[in-house]
Amino acid sequence: MPDQAPHPVLQLKDLTRVHGSGATEVHALRGINLDVFPGELVAVMGPSGSGKSTLLTIAGGLDTPTSGQVIVENTDLTTADRKQIAALRRRSIGYVFQDYNLIPALTAAENVALPRELDGTSARKARTEAVAALREMDLDSLADRFPDEMSGGQQQRVAIARALVGDRRLVLADEPTGALDSETGESVLALLRSRCDAGAAGVLVTHEPRFAAWADRVVFLRDGAVVDQTLRSQADSLLTGQAAER
Amino acid sequence: MKNWYHSWRAAIRIARRDAWRFKGRSFLVLAMLALPILGVSAADLTLRSADLTAAQQLDRDLGRADARVSDPHMGGVPLMQNPEGDNYQPVKSYDDEPWPEGEMDVTTALPAGNESLVDSEGTAKLRTTHGLLSTSVRELRAADPMAEGIMVLDRGRFPRASGEVAATDAFLESSGLHVGSKLTARGFDTSYRIVGAYELPDSLNTAQVNALPGALLAPLDKALAAAELPGTQMSTTYLTSVSGDAGFTWNMVKEANAKGATVISRAVVLDPPPDSDVPLYQKEGASDFGGGSANATELAIISTVVGLAMLEICLLAGPAFAVGARRSRRQLGLVGANGGDRHHIRAIVLSGGLVIGAVAAVVGTVLGIVLTFALQPVLEAFLGKRFGSFDLRPLELIAIALVAVVTGLLAAIVPAVTASRQTVVASLTGRRGIRKSSRVLPVLGLSAVVLGAGIALYGSTASDQTMIVAGGSALAELGVVALTPALVGLFGRIGRWLPLSPRLALRDAVRNRGRTAPAVAAVLAAVAGTVAVATYTASSDAQAEARYEPELPYGAVAVLSPESAADVPSMREDAQKVLPTEVRADVDRVVVGKKSCSSYGDGDECGRYEIVTPKAYECPLWAYGETDEDPSEKFSKAERRKLAKDWRCEQGGTGLGSVGGEILVGDDKLLKVLEINNPEASEALANGRAVSFSKRIFTPEGAADAGKGGAKGGAVAAPKGGLNGTIDVRVVSAAQMKEAESAGESDAEKQPGTVKKLPAHQFSGSENAYGVTVIVPPDAAEKAGMTTVPFGSFFTTEKLPSDAQQQKLAGELDKTGSDPWLTIEKGFVPENSATLLALAVFAGLITIGAAGIATGLAQADAEADLKTLAAVGAPPRVRKALSGFQCGVVAAMGVVLGSASGILPAVGLRFTERRAEDLMYARMMDEGWSSGEEATAPFVPVVIPWETLGVLLVVVPLGAAVLAALVTRSRGALARRAAI
Repeated sequence: MPDQAPHPVLQLKDLTRVHGSGATEVHALRGINLDVFPGELVAVMGPSGSGKSTLLTIAGGLDTPTSGQVIVENTDLTTADRKQIAALRRRSIGYVFQDYNLIPALTAAENVALPRELDGTSARKARTEAVAALREMDLDSLADRFPDEMSGGQQQRVAIARALVGDRRLVLADEPTGALDSETGESVLALLRSRCDAGAAGVLVTHEPRFAAWADRVVFLRDGAVVDQTLRSQADSLLTGQAAER
Repeated sequence: MKNWYHSWRAAIRIARRDAWRFKGRSFLVLAMLALPILGVSAADLTLRSADLTAAQQLDRDLGRADARVSDPHMGGVPLMQNPEGDNYQPVKSYDDEPWPEGEMDVTTALPAGNESLVDSEGTAKLRTTHGLLSTSVRELRAADPMAEGIMVLDRGRFPRASGEVAATDAFLESSGLHVGSKLTARGFDTSYRIVGAYELPDSLNTAQVNALPGALLAPLDKALAAAELPGTQMSTTYLTSVSGDAGFTWNMVKEANAKGATVISRAVVLDPPPDSDVPLYQKEGASDFGGGSANATELAIISTVVGLAMLEICLLAGPAFAVGARRSRRQLGLVGANGGDRHHIRAIVLSGGLVIGAVAAVVGTVLGIVLTFALQPVLEAFLGKRFGSFDLRPLELIAIALVAVVTGLLAAIVPAVTASRQTVVASLTGRRGIRKSSRVLPVLGLSAVVLGAGIALYGSTASDQTMIVAGGSALAELGVVALTPALVGLFGRIGRWLPLSPRLALRDAVRNRGRTAPAVAAVLAAVAGTVAVATYTASSDAQAEARYEPELPYGAVAVLSPESAADVPSMREDAQKVLPTEVRADVDRVVVGKKSCSSYGDGDECGRYEIVTPKAYECPLWAYGETDEDPSEKFSKAERRKLAKDWRCEQGGTGLGSVGGEILVGDDKLLKVLEINNPEASEALANGRAVSFSKRIFTPEGAADAGKGGAKGGAVAAPKGGLNGTIDVRVVSAAQMKEAESAGESDAEKQPGTVKKLPAHQFSGSENAYGVTVIVPPDAAEKAGMTTVPFGSFFTTEKLPSDAQQQKLAGELDKTGSDPWLTIEKGFVPENSATLLALAVFAGLITIGAAGIATGLAQADAEADLKTLAAVGAPPRVRKALSGFQCGVVAAMGVVLGSASGILPAVGLRFTERRAEDLMYARMMDEGWSSGEEATAPFVPVVIPWETLGVLLVVVPLGAAVLAALVTRSRGALARRAAI
């Protein structure tokens, strides 16, 4: 944990997202504000349709907000063009989905190396970095396996390794344990927690309180708005002022 | 640049592994791309290998000799030739004199100090186990080192004594003889022993027999002459080697030319002299003899075919890439989530095309090379020629192989662009969002259709240039292909009236135009081509049928021997034995000179005869007067048009009656076979009168000076039919012909020969005489002092002889070794029916293939719908029905659009042709040319090939639907995890 006031990795400011228009208009997000700092793991909880996944797709630049700002590592995604956002996803943002995170045609190491290779790093260098990332998480034995030769838990852990390869510091995880049994789920969460403790920032969408307990902070969404938040420990709180007032 | 390279590497890796993961689909596309490459590279290799270099060709022609010196039969006058020795002419110009003729002694033209080998060739009728075989006999000391390479010994040895011969494998095979057999020739008692088998590397299928010089041809010729049979037509050349390394130089060639011989010299062919040193080029200009330049039309046709084939493959392979991209939608979404840009997504899908294209290129080329190598003996036998060397041209093969890579990339372009436009979220969530189709393509397509149709319309109404119609049609066709997605959309409107399964199938096809449209376009293109060709050929067939002129009455048979009269009796027997004949009418022909003279009148001692047209009956348009002026120039256009239809200018009928010359010697039976039922004519023949079927040659009794002033264009009445009178026959002996030639200027008034008057009867009926001009009864011919020889027979038959009978008779006739004519009149037989059938089958296969691919893709997409259907209680057969209808819908849309866009260009082409023929006819009438079939007004019908259309429109879609339904399992695979 940084001692001095650190700069947030992800900032969401007054974020709204409206799907459709007229009679079919749906307000998926209504004025969300959220800062995520390095070393912090934020859990987002809420019922189906509360806007959890929309929040995550907008935070990673896969979707654009109707209004408000998304700032990742000082870059405003709402004003960046498609290429810049793609580049940001290669260099700063890592995604982990519920399942099938890995490209079946690539080995674990190649999957981890993919963002670096897409960024133009040579295959050899990208692989070295990928193997290093896997080793850091004790996954180097999986390096040359294809996804269909790995268990679900192993796949999710490789996906986390990929989300944090190179200089990436932001992990956006959408129900990463949804397709796993509870024991495997715990081990995946433990890995995510340890990466955040090592300095990464994480946003975890889940509807299981058990997994939310791994987070530093839990944000509750309903109908697209933050309705409540819980601090795992008040002393470690890094809540922003606005969020705390609500 | 570097970044670009590294990200492409990742894309190619993904594509390569994906191709391996989905082996079935990859193999399908691979086969589509590799097969044409296999065919073309094998063809390239075969043609290149069979196409000999000049040096290789010379080895086969000259052996190891330096040159071949030949007698061009120009009587030894000084010549000039081109360096290759295949073009020559006398130094002196013979504009006003007859061209020199006659043999020369070639040995006088050989340079001093040469070694030479005689190489003579002639033909002989050799006795085989089946009968007689007309065979080339070559007298050459083949074992001599100088001849090495001309004949390649296969078994045994070349002849060493005059009683020995060797034979080509082709001869042994067709004669049924073998090494060790005795060989004899017709008209000759001496027998020869076959001591070896050889092949001619350049002509594997030639039946040839090799003997020592002087051993066979000369004695045979003597024996044939004694028996009054046609000779061996021997010609002799000399293979020559000269001392020194320079070979037979151009100067030596020119010296030989000065003595009247022509030369093919190795040294000169391989290193030709400059044009300035070739007198022939100096006189005529080198360009007249230059090799053909690249043929632009041929190039255009080849590029069109290659282009269309590539388009067709793209249209077929495109959907496969589209379904690949769709199936790996989630994978592409993941790439996007990990920072993949649009161009990365495009790169991955394009890499699919690149990878399979590259593999197809390698596989196709390697298989092409291996197959050509393995099948070399078969290919050589097919081409009738040994390869010079296995001629691999890497650049050409690479260029051919690249076509596969380019085609693969082209096929993947549209799926790649489509996939890259999907949003990452849509890809990840697997939403099937319906994209609005682009408006650019339909607009482009419509413009191309309008422009192309306009050009074609202009071409077919205002010009006689078929290229304009073809070009416009091709443009319009491409436009229709581009319009396909929009047209497919229109089909969707009829959906609401259909029952569930077809409605679902149609809606699905219309909503997923990305995969439907290319398949429909592939069917469209193939069907349009087929329908266009089918319409065109059906129309040409109708035209040919309208123009068809029978050679004989339906079912009648003619067996005629224009050359050898000696074989006629056995031919008549054979025909009567093999065919169901009824009436047999034997006919003789008139010869002037020896009895062995052919009806073509060639040979030294053969004269000729002709029937004299009375001056008054000559067609004024053709009758040359004292001057050389074209007689038709004297008349105006209107007069020419009138005269072209005058009876004096009419051409005789066509048919077999004209084969043996103007006179057929025969009797009343011939009239029966020709179905001429005219008692007066029969009576005339019985009374020793000739029957004339042409009014122009007949002079009625008491009208010795018929019709005056005719040649000046005035009308002349035709002699009435049914009268008696005479016809004049001018008989010119060989001696008289020579005398007239040497006298030079042929004087119209002073024609050579003696004129004989034959009593004749003018035919009064209107029956078709099938080209017969005059029938002379045998006693009348004898009385007039004409020599006749057996010519053959005409027969009527009980029923039309079958193909088997015809082949059997042809086989029997072949055994006589002569070259008889066998004609069985079967009426009009369309030539193109097999082509039409083949085309329909081809289009059907493409349609079923394309519809099958589209159905496979639709099935892959429809899994979710099928589950929903099953959940609401649809019976299992719905799956089968849906699959069948999906296939049928694609096939039906394709054939309907294809048929419509195929008929139009064909009709346009026919209109253009009609215009061209009308113009030609008008011109002919204006000029007063009226000969043969052009004299009748042109008939250029447009015929729609309903059978082909019916097969394509009904049978093919139904067949495709049934096939798809049959191969679809009614129960789906167990719910799999959604593939990514």
